[in-house]
Amino acid sequence: MEILSHLLDGFAVAGTPTNLLICLIGAFLGTIIGMLPGLGPINGVAILLPIAYAMRLPPESALILLAAVYSGCEFGGRISAILINVPGDAGAVMTTLDGYPMAKNGLAGPALSISAVASFTGAIVATVGIVAFAPLLANWALAFGPAEYFALMVLALSCLGGLVGDSLLKAMVGVLIGLMIACVGIDANSGVYRFTFDLLHLSDGIPFIVVVIGLFAVSELMLMLQSHHGSTTPVEVTGRTMFNMQEFALAKWTILRSSVVGFFVGVLPGAGASIASAMTYSMERRMAGKDHCFGEGDVRGVAAPEAANNASAYGSLIPMLTLGVPGSGTTAVMIGALTLYNITPGPTLFQDQPGIVWGLIASLAICSVMLVLMNIPLVKLFVKFLQIPNWVLVPGVAAVSMVGVYAVHGTTFDLIVGTLLGGFGYLLRVMNFPMAPFILGFVLGDMMEQNLRRALSISNGELNILFSSPISIGLWVAAIAMLLGPRLAKALEARRQGPAVI
Amino acid sequence: MSERIFGAFLLLLSVGGIFVGWDLKAPISYEPVGPRAFPLLVFSLLGVCALGLILTRREATEWAPSPVLLRVGAMFLTVLAYALLFDKLGFVISTALMSVPLARFFGGTWRQAMLAGAGLGVLLFLFFDRLLDVVLPVGYWLKPLLG
Repeated sequence: MEILSHLLDGFAVAGTPTNLLICLIGAFLGTIIGMLPGLGPINGVAILLPIAYAMRLPPESALILLAAVYSGCEFGGRISAILINVPGDAGAVMTTLDGYPMAKNGLAGPALSISAVASFTGAIVATVGIVAFAPLLANWALAFGPAEYFALMVLALSCLGGLVGDSLLKAMVGVLIGLMIACVGIDANSGVYRFTFDLLHLSDGIPFIVVVIGLFAVSELMLMLQSHHGSTTPVEVTGRTMFNMQEFALAKWTILRSSVVGFFVGVLPGAGASIASAMTYSMERRMAGKDHCFGEGDVRGVAAPEAANNASAYGSLIPMLTLGVPGSGTTAVMIGALTLYNITPGPTLFQDQPGIVWGLIASLAICSVMLVLMNIPLVKLFVKFLQIPNWVLVPGVAAVSMVGVYAVHGTTFDLIVGTLLGGFGYLLRVMNFPMAPFILGFVLGDMMEQNLRRALSISNGELNILFSSPISIGLWVAAIAMLLGPRLAKALEARRQGPAVI
Repeated sequence: MSERIFGAFLLLLSVGGIFVGWDLKAPISYEPVGPRAFPLLVFSLLGVCALGLILTRREATEWAPSPVLLRVGAMFLTVLAYALLFDKLGFVISTALMSVPLARFFGGTWRQAMLAGAGLGVLLFLFFDRLLDVVLPVGYWLKPLLG
């Protein structure tokens, strides 16, 4: 009952006219940002965050805006996936497999509408999941001391290392570079200047926004230029825009299953929307048996990844809200948003700032309703945005990114650091270094160091304290398992198949 | 090969970091672990990973063909110049100047590029500075005009 009353309070916060308007604008912008290839939730949230801050929005409104953009992106990614065969964001990669063939067969309308309903279901299932699990987890996490927190952050980072990309070494380099950048600035405990090289601008450290916009916006534009091949024309949306009952009947269980799986994958730190959608797609494909046309335009192939990526996007808010440890790049940026407002994310958030937390959760539900209502009838309007030529879009994004960086401190120094980091990010990305570990390392760096030092202060320097409580031992074991598990499984698989080939 | 070079760069970085970080000491210390330990831990782990990058055999990085790479580099320099001049020239002029080459890189004609530059400079300024209250630099030249 207590949760219900909190939730009602949340709806009161999210339901004020201003916040509803912010939600609507965020959802609309998010759909467009998600739809445009190259711009995804991370860039969208990163660019809008400083602008929201500079507009002096109160923290709950700013967070609602970011959450609306985040969920809008997950909705928007599917439009370009279906119509031009290019995923608008990472979560929509799997949607291209069946979405584009459907559009080619003249079924663009049904593909778009069933995926909108799937996204909506995923979002609602995950919202219910957040309401059910987040307060429990927050309560449990209240018992965490600094040693447990340190172990938890190691777990979050190693989840990424285990799941992300091909190379553990590259993921580790990413994390360490992020941690290294986080070390720059005044040390909060002792007041010692670290790695500032007597530059006044570095004494507060490199601002979060500068790093994120440099890494994700500037380097993204450079990558866009690298893969620029003129424009692509979207498949026209003709015929019926709604799916029929037969298609719905085929996809309904797929949607529900994928939503639930997507949610739980999202809750795991490190495993984001792209993993959730890939997992559910192959799961559904296997479950369909012989009776399917996956890969040639099966509705289930569109519904599964879309339900999963929305559910996991919302699910990844759980570790952020309850533990203060982000589970994905985008939620890392949102943590940055909270710290910009001097709010420390973590288990106490539910007690100290119930208005913000429950307002955010309520706005997720409101936002999904707005998005599904907006996306089905207005899809033709959204498609118009796909026709914005790159020669306007790219300079526009560059300018808006600079506005975002400038809004923080208003110094040329930040702009230059951001651009240089962008060039560095471009090199890293061309060499296939994953970016998520980098940004997570950067966000967690300060918290990790603080918790480590606090833990060692308690034990007077004894390292044993890190491994003394059952919770922290469990977390360390989980961290090692996440790091080695996927690789061991792969190695075993290879060994089992090895002799059979010979 | 490029990853090895990058590994060597990281190795230098970590050695440099340890060198600079070695002298970090708090004048008065209240805690067993000072400001030095964590950066040193990070830099030494980075050094180990850098050695890993140098010593293991890895797949060659696929760089874009050199004309494309040249254009990407030119774009980076354009954005860097934009960052340098953003405050001095003001938002409107610097954005217009940055937009023209960027639009050209992405296949716009000269006419389109000029249009994009002028349009973006003015419209974004009005949108952010006037409508949303996000303060943008006016620059020395337009100051009397825009206040």
